[in-house]
Amino acid sequence: MIKKLTPWIGYGIALLILPQLFDSVLGISLLNQLAIAIVFALSYNMLLGQGGMLSFGHAVYYGLGGFLAVHALIKIEYEEMYFSIIYIPFIGGLSGLIAALFIGSFSTHKAGTVFAMISLGIAELVAASSLILESFFGGEAGISGDRTYGPPFFGIEFFQDSEIYYIAAVWVFIATLFMYLFTKTPAGRLANAVRDNPERAEFIGYSARWVRFISFCASGFFAGIAGGLFALNYEFLTSENLNAVTSGRVLLMAYIGGLGYFIGPIIGAVVLTLMNTLLSNYTELWLLYVGVMFVLTVMFLPRGFAGFIMMHQLAWTQGTLNQLFKPYLITALPAGVFVLATVALIELSHAEETLHFLGMPLNPESAISWSIGLILATAAFYATRRTLPQLRDAWDTANTISEEEGESS
Amino acid sequence: MSILSLRNVHKNFGITPIIRGIDLDVEEGEKHAIIGPNGAGKSTLFHLISGRYGVSEGSIAFKGQQIQNKQPYEINRLGLARSFQVTNIFPRLNVFENIRCALLWSEGYKYSFWQLLDRQKRLNEKTEQVIAQIGLEKRAFYPAGELAYAQQRALELGIAVASGAELIMLDEPVAGMSHSEAENAVALIRKITAGKTLIMVEHDMSIVFDLADRISVLVYGEVIATDVPENIRGNSRVQEAYLGEVVSDA
Ligand SMILES: Nc1ncnc2c1ncn2[C@@H]1O[C@H](COP(=O)(O)OP(=O)(O)O)[C@@H](O)[C@H]1O
Ligand SMILES: [Mg+2]
Repeated sequence: MIKKLTPWIGYGIALLILPQLFDSVLGISLLNQLAIAIVFALSYNMLLGQGGMLSFGHAVYYGLGGFLAVHALIKIEYEEMYFSIIYIPFIGGLSGLIAALFIGSFSTHKAGTVFAMISLGIAELVAASSLILESFFGGEAGISGDRTYGPPFFGIEFFQDSEIYYIAAVWVFIATLFMYLFTKTPAGRLANAVRDNPERAEFIGYSARWVRFISFCASGFFAGIAGGLFALNYEFLTSENLNAVTSGRVLLMAYIGGLGYFIGPIIGAVVLTLMNTLLSNYTELWLLYVGVMFVLTVMFLPRGFAGFIMMHQLAWTQGTLNQLFKPYLITALPAGVFVLATVALIELSHAEETLHFLGMPLNPESAISWSIGLILATAAFYATRRTLPQLRDAWDTANTISEEEGESS
Repeated sequence: MSILSLRNVHKNFGITPIIRGIDLDVEEGEKHAIIGPNGAGKSTLFHLISGRYGVSEGSIAFKGQQIQNKQPYEINRLGLARSFQVTNIFPRLNVFENIRCALLWSEGYKYSFWQLLDRQKRLNEKTEQVIAQIGLEKRAFYPAGELAYAQQRALELGIAVASGAELIMLDEPVAGMSHSEAENAVALIRKITAGKTLIMVEHDMSIVFDLADRISVLVYGEVIATDVPENIRGNSRVQEAYLGEVVSDA
């Protein structure tokens, strides 16, 4: 019991402590983005990781949740509704759920390519309507609300982003908990069974379609909550929030983080949000780096970051994990140099004037800058390659099942 | 009383007739073996009864209800469970989850998303019992896809029988097993189908004659004989069409 609760207590404490550690305007704004992304990415994994449904249109439920949430904010502002804005994410959730009930009723008939194509079609349809139905979606400009009009919540009026953060943190905690618990229910476990083998599921009494439909609706609900959190934090929505780019980003988050693990999408949401916000401050090419990272993850870490962490479980339980520290370091040093040198070269090829990279002035017209970059990158590449055998050996040694354990299992 | 009745059942794939007018009655509580050469249509017949394929013509009644147009899950809920000739399990779920999922509907959980599986004592005990019966206790928490072949066949069987269905259909349950594995499997089948109706496709004649109360011989999509084992042995049409050498071997 205690062991089961520990991660949750840790999660709760982390959610509460983070805003103390990063209390700048940027820090709080980043934390709010993280909160939204975590719920969104987890909801996506209910589809893809848990249920085997590859969706290219998950932003539809997120965006619709967000739009309805802003409309609710407007109604509160005009006193047509009267409740505290802390409940707004729930409105988002209900909107996502209703959209999912409707769309899922026909899209969950099949998984695989058929499902993926329908999700893409719906996404295009909704994105197009969002520009046409101006009264609801506000056209290109979008719609905006004001979260400060509702009745104060214990005296808080939500002028500050940090006040929103605590509301978001509570919602994130609850949403994460319920999404986790869902995986422990019959419907959640059957979603895995249907993902693995929809045909056999039908021969143990379950309609694969119904099982998918339930996951789909749950996923739409939580995506809508994420959208509602977005609405609370930014107080405006545009059609961008439900378009294909947003759908693609959540797929990236879940995938990079690791679809097979509950915690995977959380890791993915954190990594991508950080790259998104921090990297974009430094370089116009940040999307390129995100793309490269995605390709590399798919190629070398098919089970995502979470899968990479879990690869070390055996070594951890055997107490051989520390044997890996030095070999990792030996590989990481040249690999790090290689990455930095490559990034420098890419930035050089993009730059029009002298740029400062890690404090070094680099000039796109200077042969010296280019030569240094090229030499460093090449040398580091070969150095990295030469370290790989020792890493592989260390890995094998650390993961050799020790004698006693081999027999007992 | 017949628990299962087929009347004039036909199945064509495209223009090719595969099942060509089958009438068959399976009595409640009997162990009924289906034998016949490869490609005779035994698996297809199983698929028709269990709802994987629709019939091209004819009717199938299970416990008095017409089931020829029903979905597999509807038929399963009526009390008919089956295994597959080609292993058909949930590879990424562990053995325990495979069996537990197979129990959910019959234990009344439906599509519940408000109950936590780990809290369901009765369900989990039943799951453990089934796992003990199929002898996979030591592998309970291994992903099903990583088991050895014979273990996967045992799991295949476990998924079919877990729910306690009245009619159990097993399609070549011991094919590909070593002699001793097959012996264990047959003992297991005998144990878990006690008091139930069993329809089984099997090639090994010693197993068939040992286990079956009655045997149907399927050749080119037609049942050419249905009878008790002794009479099947002596049936000249059967000898000619199929059994000849095998019986003299046995
Ligand atoms: N889905 C299908 N489409 C076309 N032909 C099929 C299909 N399934 C089976 N058949 C054909 O039907 C015949 C009977 O197959 P099957 O029922 O598997 O035989 P058995 O189980 O008796 O060995 C075979 O000739 C096979 O090629
Ligand atoms: Mg067959």
